[in-house]
This record gives sequence, C-alpha cells and structure tokens, in this order.
Amino acid sequence: MMQDPVETPAGSTPAEQPRQRYVLEDTGFDEVPQKYRKFYRKWGGPGDVLAPNEVLCPVCKVVIRSTRELRPGDRVYCMPCMSRLVVVRAADGTLEARVAY
Amino acid sequence: MAGPRPVAPSGDVHDLPPELFYEEVHSFEFWFQAVEGYLSGTTWGHRPDVAEAPLSDADRDRLVTALCNYCLGEMAALEGASGLIAIAPNRLAKVFLSTQVADEGRHLEVFHHRLRDLGVGDPEAEVARRASRSLLLFRRRLLELVAGKDWEAAIFAQNVILESLEFAVFRNHAQTADPVTAEVLRLVIKDERRHVGFGENELGRRLAVAPHIRARLGQTRKELDHLVFDTLAETARVLGVARDDEERLGRAYLESVERLGLGV
Repeated sequence: MMQDPVETPAGSTPAEQPRQRYVLEDTGFDEVPQKYRKFYRKWGGPGDVLAPNEVLCPVCKVVIRSTRELRPGDRVYCMPCMSRLVVVRAADGTLEARVAY
Repeated sequence: MAGPRPVAPSGDVHDLPPELFYEEVHSFEFWFQAVEGYLSGTTWGHRPDVAEAPLSDADRDRLVTALCNYCLGEMAALEGASGLIAIAPNRLAKVFLSTQVADEGRHLEVFHHRLRDLGVGDPEAEVARRASRSLLLFRRRLLELVAGKDWEAAIFAQNVILESLEFAVFRNHAQTADPVTAEVLRLVIKDERRHVGFGENELGRRLAVAPHIRARLGQTRKELDHLVFDTLAETARVLGVARDDEERLGRAYLESVERLGLGV
C-alpha cells in the first residue's frame, strides 16, 4: 500500500480524534492526468483491504484515495469515471461510497 | 501546452468545488492528458513489443467471433455517440461526447486491426457474417432513440447499458485472452470507465430533477433487457465463460441500473 501516515493520534475513538493525514504517492494509476494520479489506485479485487483514507468507487471499481482519513459524510470524487460520491458506513462497519448525482 | 489545472487550496482533489470538478473531468484537455498517459508508445492499441502467443485453430476462430462482435458494439457506440452530440443539453456533455467519439473510433480501429493480425482478410465482411443478431437489434434500437432525439433513453441505452456490458465483458476477457488481445482490451477498458461513469452520472442528475422520466427509462430497459442478456449469453458461450461468471457479468450492468432506481 503506497501511503505514509504522518500524524497518528492514539487513545481516543475515531469520531473524537483528529484525522490521520496521509502523504500520497503515485501508485502507477495512469487513467487521469499526472497531477491527479496519486488520488487513485487500481483495485485488487475482493481481497484488497482498503486503508482508512481509501474507498472503492462503486461505478468503476477504482480505489479513491484522500490525503486524510475518510469518515461518513465526506465527499470524494472519482475522476476516472467522473462521479461525485458520499462516504457512508456500511452494515459490516466498513466505509463505502455512494454516488451523489 | 496545458495551462494551470484546478487546485483546491488544501491540495486534495476531493476539496474541489463541484462545478470545477465537472468542468475539469468533462474537458477535452483532461481527456487528452489522461489518454496520453496510457496510449503513448502504443501501436494499434498495444505496445509493439508484446509478443503473439500461438493459438489453436479453434481458439483463433472463437477470438475472431468475439472481436467481430466487439467491432459491432464499437460501431454502434461510435454512431450513437456522434449522433448524441447534436442533442446533448449542454456544452460539457457535448465536449465529453466528442472525446467519446474519438475513443470509440479508436476501439473500432484497433479491433479491426486485431482481426487483420489474426489473418482475417476482410474484417467488414467477417463482422457482417458473424455479428450477433441481438446486438444488431440493439444497435438499430439505439440509433432509433438517437434519431428520435430522446436524450435520456439514448444515453441510457448507450452509456449505461451498452458501455456497462462492454466494460464487464472486456474485463473478463482480458483475464484469459492471449497477450496482445489482453493488452488491447485493458487499454480499451480504461476508456470505458469514463463512458460508463458519464452515462450513469448524467442520467442520475436528470432523474434527480425530473423523476417522471424514470417510468420511460424503465420501459426502455424492459425493451432492451432481453437483447442485452442474449448478447451476453452469446458472448459468454464464445469465450467459454462459466455460468457463475456470466451471472456476475450480468450483475455489473444491473448494479448501475439499480443505483439509478430503474430496477424492476
């Protein structure tokens, strides 16, 4: 996983904590202009565990990455398929993205 | 060359205002820089140094049939996308569709070229001979919707149904195809992501402000569903796709339909 937490607060619940920040690196994803590439990576299939700053685009199955830990209610963009998405908590406790048309 | 690109003060692309995001991702400039990233250095849709693998006569014949139907699907998408530019409701949609036309033209060309690589002397005649009847009917209906200036139904047929089908089938086929065909398909899939996303998002926005069109699109879906699933079944047979995988491919199309609230 190409990410480096630069701030990792401990000892409180996620809702109370300041968000972890991430320095994103280019993962070789080449479907958007170079400047935006670090915000996306290829999905490795159902066994691919997403980091706290990542969520899967339900439309095109690309992993969307943010410079900060994602939480329910956050809005993210999938540039490869031009979707606006809202992060929600799924029934299994993981984060997932829903399309906001 | 390119001017400055939009930047959010935070440096995170997800902080861009929505209007800037939409302007950016629909632009010709965005498209150009995106495709440059993965098509630069390719010839006829693949890197020139990808080696051909030997194919048995039976495998070659199945591949030719699959490619003939890919050509037909891309021809339908090329004709559909170019016709849709005239009836697109705004500048962003028109500009985006102009990039889709370029993509579809490229896809048709590289699949034709692949047929020639495989020894097909007259790809046009071969496409006509091997074309799936359901896909031909789908193409005819799509072009009727475009000619009838029915923006929502035509976008639904083309960018949601047809593109989702192609996206799912190409992804599946790329996993088992010979190295050259697999690379051609992988690069086509990168384009298809934009087309599928444009269709779903455009329709989603239209449905949000005009929910009454949902019933009409539901009708279009009913009309086209059997053609989609017949085409999928034919393609799956040609590619030797297992029954479970065929159902998974069908679900890829249905997921998009469900998200739009057009499920039966």
